[in-house]
Amino acid sequence: MIAAQEIESKLLDFLKREVFAPEVALHPETDLVAEGFDSMSLVRVLLFLEQSYGFWIPEGEITGDALQNIRSLASTAARVLNAR
Amino acid sequence: MVSQRRFCHFANGHMNLNELLDQTAVRVPQQPALVEENAVVSYGELARQVNELAERLSALRMDPGRRVGLAFPNSGTYVALTFALWRLQVVVVPVPTECPEEEILEISEAMQLVGILTPQARCECECIAPGCYFTSLNPLAAPDNHGLNLAFIRFTSGTTSARKGVALSHETIRDRVRSANKAFGISGEDTVIWCLPMAHHFLITIVLYIEAGATLVLARHVTAKPFLDAVNRWQGTVLYAAPFHYAMWARDGSPVQIPSVRLAVSTTCALLESVAQDFFKRFGRPLVQGLGVIELGLVALNTAAPREKWSSVGRVAGDFELRIDTPDVTGCGELAVRGPGICDAYVAPWVAQEQMLRDGWFFTGDLGRLDPEGFLYLLSRKTAVINLAGRKVFPEEIEAVLNRHAAVSESRVYGRLHPHLGETVEAEIVLSSPEAKLDALPAFCREHLAAYKIPTRFTSVAALPRTPGTGKILRAAPVA
Repeated sequence: MIAAQEIESKLLDFLKREVFAPEVALHPETDLVAEGFDSMSLVRVLLFLEQSYGFWIPEGEITGDALQNIRSLASTAARVLNAR
Repeated sequence: MVSQRRFCHFANGHMNLNELLDQTAVRVPQQPALVEENAVVSYGELARQVNELAERLSALRMDPGRRVGLAFPNSGTYVALTFALWRLQVVVVPVPTECPEEEILEISEAMQLVGILTPQARCECECIAPGCYFTSLNPLAAPDNHGLNLAFIRFTSGTTSARKGVALSHETIRDRVRSANKAFGISGEDTVIWCLPMAHHFLITIVLYIEAGATLVLARHVTAKPFLDAVNRWQGTVLYAAPFHYAMWARDGSPVQIPSVRLAVSTTCALLESVAQDFFKRFGRPLVQGLGVIELGLVALNTAAPREKWSSVGRVAGDFELRIDTPDVTGCGELAVRGPGICDAYVAPWVAQEQMLRDGWFFTGDLGRLDPEGFLYLLSRKTAVINLAGRKVFPEEIEAVLNRHAAVSESRVYGRLHPHLGETVEAEIVLSSPEAKLDALPAFCREHLAAYKIPTRFTSVAALPRTPGTGKILRAAPVA
């Protein structure tokens, strides 16, 4: 069982480091799309999760709600991962 | 209203792609050209915006044939600026917005850009319009376009020996657009819902839609709900996206249908059968695969049998001819193509069209076979270019960065097949000493490369695979 909080913290770190510009003050509830999270950013997050946890989030789970912020993304990832 | 004066502007013997826009603006001035968020811009208004931007840009005194970098995200401004630069006979060089500063500098130098247009102010820039800034650069020499009426250069990075940039004239783009539309059949009745980056896709798509007088809706969100809502709100008839997008939309679990869509083209990488099937089951429409080649335009499109032969990229499209060169016993060989719209040259170093063709044929580097009914199946590639969800990644460019790091003696970058994204980027590293570590390489890459080019996996190896005889680093098809 992996806690959503652990994924959230890893995602926050990854997005800060590799996706967003340093001047973006990122926190778990930042509106990702409003900050410029695009299709390519999504691809990179999915690859990061695949590499870190060994699973690909099914496309059906990639909804606007899931991509709202890091918290919702982490909670989706945790739910999918723990259901396997 | 589009004034007659504008047509006179091109009466210098050179064709200009603005003629396509102007003709549409005269034919259907009220027709919506672009929809962005809730703003609708008609063809008449788009032509007016282009004229206005061209007038402002002309104050910068850019001579015809000079090259300007365009580093904008998808937007109506992107389209208007491209046509405005063309109006001044300036060559447009798209600069993907994800490029870090170092890469922008490389493109600027290699392409001899006279300046770069960006949505944010850079140091010592001029404001052309709100949210549009021009930064002058000082190329060491004026570029030599070898007498061609160039409109566009697609920069392709690589080592110093690699060819950088594919150059297209106004006439060539017009020819490839018209050839492509014999397959797409886009008309003024069509509304295209757009989600791919314009910096990577523009000519046989956006320019084609403009000539046809179609409406282009720029979708800001690509997740299923907002995208499908946009399709229904604007009654989209054409979708042009990557398998990754189609998988998302087909598997969202909602009951939303998209009855207005007549054509859904899957592009950028091979389509998985599961995605093709899921999309059909969900929406009752087949996904159509096609083959676009940067040097050629649209070579094939499978509108004839997208269900029965879902894995084929289709029959030859438009006015092209294709053949399989020296096929093996299974019929597989290199795909060679000839026809209209072949690129005019490679830039830096300059390679003229006649030098890149063999007996009039362009060899694509793709290995494929034709079935008895003329449907083309792509099997693998001879080239090493990596295709990550529609972005082309050149191994040599990444290796050149890696090889500069003290921990690296040499490196090899290659693609690994990925079921959802086409390929991902990986690197093999020969470390420079027993103490050297791979740890610092991701951060080093982040400083020097666009994020999508950074390898997702680094592996330490004792030696790199090399070709027998020449000893060059072995370039192969992506690994599974």
